[in-house]
Amino acid sequence: MPTKKGYFGEFGGQFAPEVLMPALEELEKAFAEFKRDKTVHERFSYLLKNYNGRPTPLYYAKNLSNHLGGARIYLKREDLNHTGAHKVTNSLGQSLLAEFMGKKRIIAETGAGQHGVATATAAALLNLECNIYMGTIDMARQRPNVFRMNLLGTTVVPVESGGKTLKDAVNETMRDWSATVTTTHYVLGSVLGPHPFPSIVKHFQSVIGREAKKQILRQEGRLPHEIVACVGGGSNAIGIFSEFLKDKKVRCTGVEAGGKGIKGKKHAVRLTPTSDSHKGILHGSFSYVLQNRHGQIGNTHSISAGLDYSGVGPEHAALYSSGRVRYTHATDREAIDAFKLLSEYEGIIPALESSHAVAYAVKQAPKLSKKQIMIINLSGRGDKDIFHVADYLGLTI
Amino acid sequence: MNRYEYTFNLLKEKGEKAFIPFASAGDPDLVTSESIFKTYIDSGADILEIGYPFSDPIADGPVNQRAGMRAIEAGLTHASFFALIKILRKYSDIPVGILIYANSIYSLGYDTFCRRAADAGIDSLLIADMPPEEHEIIVGYMKKYGLGVVHIVSELTPDQRIDQICKQIDSFVYVVSRLGPTGTGNNLGENVKKTISRLKKRTSKPLCVGFGLSKPAHVKQIVGAGADGAIMGSALVKIIENNQSNKKELLKKLAVLVKQCKKATQQ
Repeated sequence: MPTKKGYFGEFGGQFAPEVLMPALEELEKAFAEFKRDKTVHERFSYLLKNYNGRPTPLYYAKNLSNHLGGARIYLKREDLNHTGAHKVTNSLGQSLLAEFMGKKRIIAETGAGQHGVATATAAALLNLECNIYMGTIDMARQRPNVFRMNLLGTTVVPVESGGKTLKDAVNETMRDWSATVTTTHYVLGSVLGPHPFPSIVKHFQSVIGREAKKQILRQEGRLPHEIVACVGGGSNAIGIFSEFLKDKKVRCTGVEAGGKGIKGKKHAVRLTPTSDSHKGILHGSFSYVLQNRHGQIGNTHSISAGLDYSGVGPEHAALYSSGRVRYTHATDREAIDAFKLLSEYEGIIPALESSHAVAYAVKQAPKLSKKQIMIINLSGRGDKDIFHVADYLGLTI
Repeated sequence: MNRYEYTFNLLKEKGEKAFIPFASAGDPDLVTSESIFKTYIDSGADILEIGYPFSDPIADGPVNQRAGMRAIEAGLTHASFFALIKILRKYSDIPVGILIYANSIYSLGYDTFCRRAADAGIDSLLIADMPPEEHEIIVGYMKKYGLGVVHIVSELTPDQRIDQICKQIDSFVYVVSRLGPTGTGNNLGENVKKTISRLKKRTSKPLCVGFGLSKPAHVKQIVGAGADGAIMGSALVKIIENNQSNKKELLKKLAVLVKQCKKATQQ
């Protein structure tokens, strides 16, 4: 749990422009009331179950386990959420929170488009006006999701500044929010940003871990040896790790985007000692950030738009510092291979983001015994990525 | 008496208010940037507001972000930034305030940055993403080296928070004329007048208004509303952006606008 000021150890905080401070205070108070309000809670639970499709299944991936010849691999099927990723759980929760605060307009940033689609969906459901900011590079590689957001009645605002990816979309969304803060709620999509956002997103996503724990105990009668999740901002990972952090024997592993390799600048690896990841302040919190020695934030590269971000959630920085969670990375190539492997062996096309977690499992599972259990958080489905993967493989579809 | 107190006292005696032009250090390059700030001074600027370029300035609009990127691409570093300030300090004794983001300070180290800033002749720091809640991390170092504290107040800032903020301030209160980042919109918000009169009841610190001032008429309006100073940023930065290829023309246009704005403070 963070401190009252939103610190996880030395990480986190509230590094926001003054114009946003009253809104952050309002949000903190409203969220405390929201959590206590039984009517809202019941409505949210109803939507999670009947609209969203929760609980998502925990599936024993027998074919993949046999193929890799090691641990028993389970997939937490967040890809089966309505809209195709874990993101919708948080978007629905925060949109209800916006409604609870009397705000009629929501805005959000998106990289892979999954958070954008999820927020656009919640906006349609709750009849809220919605603008989604997206870098133009991400718009090009996530065309299906841009179209989906438009169909849902949302305006996708192209972001041309900086590297034209997620970091720049966050900048633009914060600017919009600072101008419209009295009428608008910013549905932040990951465990990022100034306090209380990392705690709010964690609150909504921790349902993943609660479900997974209950499910594995029911199916196997014991806890897993290892839990694996990809880490961009880190919301799906915090979501599933949160319930297991107190179980010291459960190893938690976060997989970042190794891009074209950690030695160059074409990656998004923040939580491994590298020449350009240092502690720093970005988008409202103190965490690990890719930057040069003058404090200028670096642009990143990943085949997956959702992991293509220079910062990382402050709680991950704290978990990295304490050693409770291990962080590693998978390259673009390894993610693509895992994308194909899971599709062929299990009939499940994973999101490129989740493919990074699968890529780690491909390397790690054979090292474990057949008695050991590994859960991969399959954060989203890969329909959105098929054009991009085809391009990468030099195929025309 | 620090440079701010001296300047505001002097202006009071003359029956004038402060005009505070802004530009990003190193935009479009270090040599031109030096000429730009000297032009500001020669054209009547009372105080300089200098931006430390940051790649992700969430409180600034696209005009200032592009200015920062030009400076970064032209090679601005901590060392060249402080060297520029030292040159300007030799050129003039007017107060120099820096608008900066927390990571630019943190990356050098709070102590080192504050020491070098004071050595270079900087008078105050306004850290755009470091509200009073976080400010205690750095305020000790600022005091140690005699750097003034500037904070922003907006129309949304509640009275109690204004009191808390004003207690920390020892240079001037930066009043934002309207919500949103710098450089957007054309009309000066009506609410700024209300904010100024609300502030006047709660503090005797100088009140300088920024964000959205783009012409001498805005300066006149702000001064008329009771502000002690008017800060102009994006309108000047746009001139820099649009005239990068003709330095002579660039400096001429900046001089004209700064002179007009300074005149608007002398009513």
